[in-house]
Amino acid sequence: MTQVRIEGLTKRYGSATAVDRLSLQVENGQFVSLLGPSGCGKTTTLKCIAGFEEVTGGRILFDGRDVSREPPEKRDIGMVFQSYALFPHLTVAGNLAFGLEMRRVPPAAIRERVARALDMVQLAPFAERYPKALSGGQQQRVALARALVIEPRILLLDEPLANLDAKLRDEMRLFIRDLQQRVGITTLYVTHDQSEAMTMSDLVVVMFDGRIAQAAAPQEVYDLPASEAVARFVGNANILQGNVRDGVVHLAGGASPVPMPQLPPGPVRLMARPEQISLVQAGVASDMVGRVDHSYFNGSHVDYRISTDAGDIAVHASTAHIFPAGTPVGLRFDPARLWPMEPRA
Amino acid sequence: MIAARGLSSPRMLVLPAAALIVVFVVMPYLNIMVMSLRTPAQGNPYGEGFTLQSYLTILTDAYYYEAVLKTLRLGVVTSITTLALGLPLALHINRAGRRMRGLLIALVLSPLLVGIVVRSYGWTILLGNAGIVNSTLRNLGLIDRPLPLMYNELGIIIGLTHVFLPFMILPILSALQSIDPAVSAAARSLGARPFTVFRRVTLPLALPGIRSGTILVFVLAVSAYVTPALMGGMRIQTATLMTVDILIDQYRWPFGSALALTLSIAAALMIFAFGRMTRTRWTQ
Repeated sequence: MTQVRIEGLTKRYGSATAVDRLSLQVENGQFVSLLGPSGCGKTTTLKCIAGFEEVTGGRILFDGRDVSREPPEKRDIGMVFQSYALFPHLTVAGNLAFGLEMRRVPPAAIRERVARALDMVQLAPFAERYPKALSGGQQQRVALARALVIEPRILLLDEPLANLDAKLRDEMRLFIRDLQQRVGITTLYVTHDQSEAMTMSDLVVVMFDGRIAQAAAPQEVYDLPASEAVARFVGNANILQGNVRDGVVHLAGGASPVPMPQLPPGPVRLMARPEQISLVQAGVASDMVGRVDHSYFNGSHVDYRISTDAGDIAVHASTAHIFPAGTPVGLRFDPARLWPMEPRA
Repeated sequence: MIAARGLSSPRMLVLPAAALIVVFVVMPYLNIMVMSLRTPAQGNPYGEGFTLQSYLTILTDAYYYEAVLKTLRLGVVTSITTLALGLPLALHINRAGRRMRGLLIALVLSPLLVGIVVRSYGWTILLGNAGIVNSTLRNLGLIDRPLPLMYNELGIIIGLTHVFLPFMILPILSALQSIDPAVSAAARSLGARPFTVFRRVTLPLALPGIRSGTILVFVLAVSAYVTPALMGGMRIQTATLMTVDILIDQYRWPFGSALALTLSIAAALMIFAFGRMTRTRWTQ
């Protein structure tokens, strides 16, 4: 069990800065996701923690000990790669045994620990197979078992689900989270998939351009994004322009003012998630009126695009009543869930 | 109907290549096999009837079987020297940057771009008794008499190693390039030092390339004619040189065919044994 502290981590390639003075603390047994678009520096950060990249500046500490200058083989980490990176010339059991052999564990103990790790990922019958003979999901589980069997201080995962199909991805998500909870290992998880980060993590670190845009619990990142960029990257966001006068927001294109007494006077932009807006029939009291542009029936819900005087607004509503395209509708906002974007008091 | 479908089947696409192989490989081989069993004759390439006498002579007369063994030995030694030089080079090229890699591959291929005669005379300038190496050593007072660097087996091995090096490097390089870089990174993360990664991961994964490179160089070295002729100065009789001499100069077609086939069969058996020895289960 290890606490990871990153202090002012900087990584430059020539004149390009991949990671810019990043600081982060990951507590014992925490599951932390680094979330961001490609090129945001999340994988570089992970590689610096693993020791595959030399840091340009800053420090990385495991339990208070600076490891920034240590080679990867000295850091005692378990890593899962996007391509799984299994050893093609070794059997599943051989892949798992590799790290233990490096640690000079006696053969009898290796056999026992490999068997236990294979049970843990439900792959015991495949011990003597070569990686090539396994499906993507099975290879993924071997990679996970290989990283965990050495009982590392921390577990690093670099987009481990990116190569799996959607259904398997959902399964593996729960599997990894469940496994991490059982083992209780400090975990850093790199992904560009916000729903992956949401469902698995204790802490979501949203990164843009080598910097942390927000580091918070999943629900906080979703409901209270630190910036418009975070709001848009994590889920869908409607940004409404408005003006605050005497604690009341007058929305652009809005019919009725929304009371928000905590806001200072002046222009404001509010975020409303599509599922936080409800639709009512035209003529019924509402905060804004519009017309259904598109409605996409999705089985469990309906996704609407509503055109209003304030621009297009996305609404995610139940299937209880479906408004067909072309219908005039009213939109209702929940003032408690409208979140003001920067600048913010 | 059936005939029409047969004609349009994709299998028909191999027909031109198959015809070429039958005409230029299978038929000559059959011809040589039959020829090796014919009887010798005076004034004619071969006489009436069939006999195993040519093979018996080759297997019992030391002059012939030792030529075959010497040729196989040259093949083995050349495979080993090209591997010893080629593996480190391939590893280096694999790690070089994109532009550097192109340059290095061009350098590796350069021996193939120089005519064989020019190449061999280049070696004479370097390795001959009055060549650069010997005269330098003599001027430095390190030797009294020139070292025999050419016109012997050493000279042949040097010449063959030089020209066949690309056939060792390219298959190894292609095997190395097909290794996912993350695999080495994974080995590091599991606690392997860089040399251990090489020994336990890179080398085993390069084995299929080493294997095909070795077989390729061995086959080429055993069947080489011009390089052994020029670098050996016609003083070393390899089975290949001997065969040409018997077939063309001595006009003994049955015996020359038998000698050629004996060499082919012996080389094929060695390749088969080597293939069995270096078989990898994970590539099956």
